[in-house]
Amino acid sequence: LPAGLSQWFPALELLDVSGTGLAELGGGLLALPRLHTLLAKNNRLGGPGSLPKGLGQAPLGRSLRVLNLSGNRFAELPPALLGLRGLQSLSLGGNRLHGIPPDIQELRSLEFLYLGGNFITSIPPELANLPSLSYLVLCDNKIQSIPPQLAQLHSLRSLSLHNNLLTYLPREILNLVHLEELSLRGNPLVVRFVRDLTYNPPSLQELAGRTIKTRNVPYAPSDLPENLVRYLSLASNCPNPKCGGVYFDSCVRQIKFVDFCGKYRIPLMHYLCSPECSSPCSSASQSSTSQSESDSEDEASVAARRMQKVLLG
Amino acid sequence: MEQPVQTEMWKARSLEELVRILHRLFAEDKVSVEEVQALMESYESNPEEWLQYAKFDQYRYTRNLVDNGNGKFNLMILCWGEGHGSSIHDHTDSHCFMKILQGNLKETLFEWPEKKGNGEMTKKSERVLRENQCAYINDSIGLHRVENISHTESAVSLHLYSPPFDSCNTFDQRTGHKHKVKMTFYSQFGERTLC
Repeated sequence: LPAGLSQWFPALELLDVSGTGLAELGGGLLALPRLHTLLAKNNRLGGPGSLPKGLGQAPLGRSLRVLNLSGNRFAELPPALLGLRGLQSLSLGGNRLHGIPPDIQELRSLEFLYLGGNFITSIPPELANLPSLSYLVLCDNKIQSIPPQLAQLHSLRSLSLHNNLLTYLPREILNLVHLEELSLRGNPLVVRFVRDLTYNPPSLQELAGRTIKTRNVPYAPSDLPENLVRYLSLASNCPNPKCGGVYFDSCVRQIKFVDFCGKYRIPLMHYLCSPECSSPCSSASQSSTSQSESDSEDEASVAARRMQKVLLG
Repeated sequence: MEQPVQTEMWKARSLEELVRILHRLFAEDKVSVEEVQALMESYESNPEEWLQYAKFDQYRYTRNLVDNGNGKFNLMILCWGEGHGSSIHDHTDSHCFMKILQGNLKETLFEWPEKKGNGEMTKKSERVLRENQCAYINDSIGLHRVENISHTESAVSLHLYSPPFDSCNTFDQRTGHKHKVKMTFYSQFGERTLC
C-alpha cells in the first residue's frame, strides 16, 4: 500500500483491500489515526513482514477495532498483531495456522475471534484470559481437546467447535452460563460410557498420604522427611463434590454423559480419585451405565439447562 | 403441486417482479414445483434489490421475511456468516425452495432416521450450491443440513416455503433423535423484529 496513504486520507475509517493480491501491507497504514476497520481477506499475506513493524505503537495500533485477515497464508499468528490493544474483532479464518500463541491474551479488548479452517491442534489455556471474548470460532481444525480453563471465558456466548477431533469435553464447560450456541457436530465424540482402562492403582505412599489427609492425621514438619512434607502439600481434592477424598498422582479419567436441554447427551471428562468414587447415595457398582448417568444428571443438570442451544445434531 | 397442462417458463427481471409472479402463480389452485423452481432460478440476484432484507447476526444465521404471500407462502432471505450452519431439519410437510443470492451454501441430504432412531443418521448426498442456483426439498425427499462452509465469505439465500410454517423438527446426527423447534424471524419486511 502506498506510503502516502495517511497524508491523502487522514480521515479514513474503513479500508477494504481484500482480493488484491497483497503480499505485504506496508507501513503506509501506520499513521492512519482514525482507521477502525481493516479488511484484507483473500490476499497473499503470511510471510515475514506481511504486517508492518511497530503496529502496537503507531496511531493505527490504537484506533484499529476490526481486522480481517481470512483467506491468506499465515502459518502462525503474526506477533506484530499483539500490539493491537484496542482490537475487538480478529479473523484469521482459512489460513494455515498450526497453533495459537499464548500471547494472544495480550489482545485484551478482543470480543470476536474467528480461527475456523486452519490446522490448529490444541488450544492454549491463556486464551481463557481474554475477558471480553464472546464469540469464538474454532471449527474445521484438528483440535483434540479443550483446556478446562476455557470455562473462565464468562462472556462467551457462542462457541464453534464443529469438525474437529474431540472425543469429549471437560466438565467445566458447564460453567459457561452465558453460552447460547455450541456446535459440536463432526467430532468423534464418544457415545458410550467409557471407563478408563489404564487406571494405575495408587502406590503405598499415595495410599498413606490419602489417609493422612482424609483422616486429618496431625503432623508437624519435624515429624517427616522434607520430601514427604512437600508431597503431602500437593494433595488435590477429588472433583466429585460428594466425595471428600484426595488424590496425589493417581486418578481416574472417566467419561460421564450430561443431558443438554433435554435432548443432546454430551460426554464430559471427570477426574475422580478412584474408580469407586461416586455419590454416597448410589450403589457400589460402577458398571451400571444408568447409575453413573444419574450421578452426573444431579451434578450438572442445572448448569446444562442454562445452555440454550447445542448444535450437536 | 402438479405439472400444469401448459408449461410456461417465467423470467423474473427483478425481486419485485419475482414476488408479483409468485403471487399470481400461488393464486391458482394448482402450482407446479418445476415452474416455481425455474422462476426462482431465472431471477438474477441483484444485491441492490435485497440488501435491505439482508441483516446479518454475528453469532448465527438469520431469517428475514420478505413477503408473506397472502398466506399461501413465505418468502424470506437467510443471511449466513462465515461458518454458520443449520441443524438437520425437516420441512413440516411443506415445499421448500432455496436460491443462492450471494456466496455458496453446502446442502447435505439425510435419510429419515428409523422409527427407533438410535444410530448415526445416513447421509444421502451433498452438494455446494452456487450463486443463482435454486434447490428444492420436501419431507418425502428427505432431511437436510444447510451450511456456509466458507471461512472468508458470507452467504445470502432466498427461501420460499409453501404452505408457511413456523415450527419444524431438528435431528441429532449421531442418534437420529428429533426435537421440535419454533422458528422466528430476525426481521420482517426490512424491519428488525425484537423478541
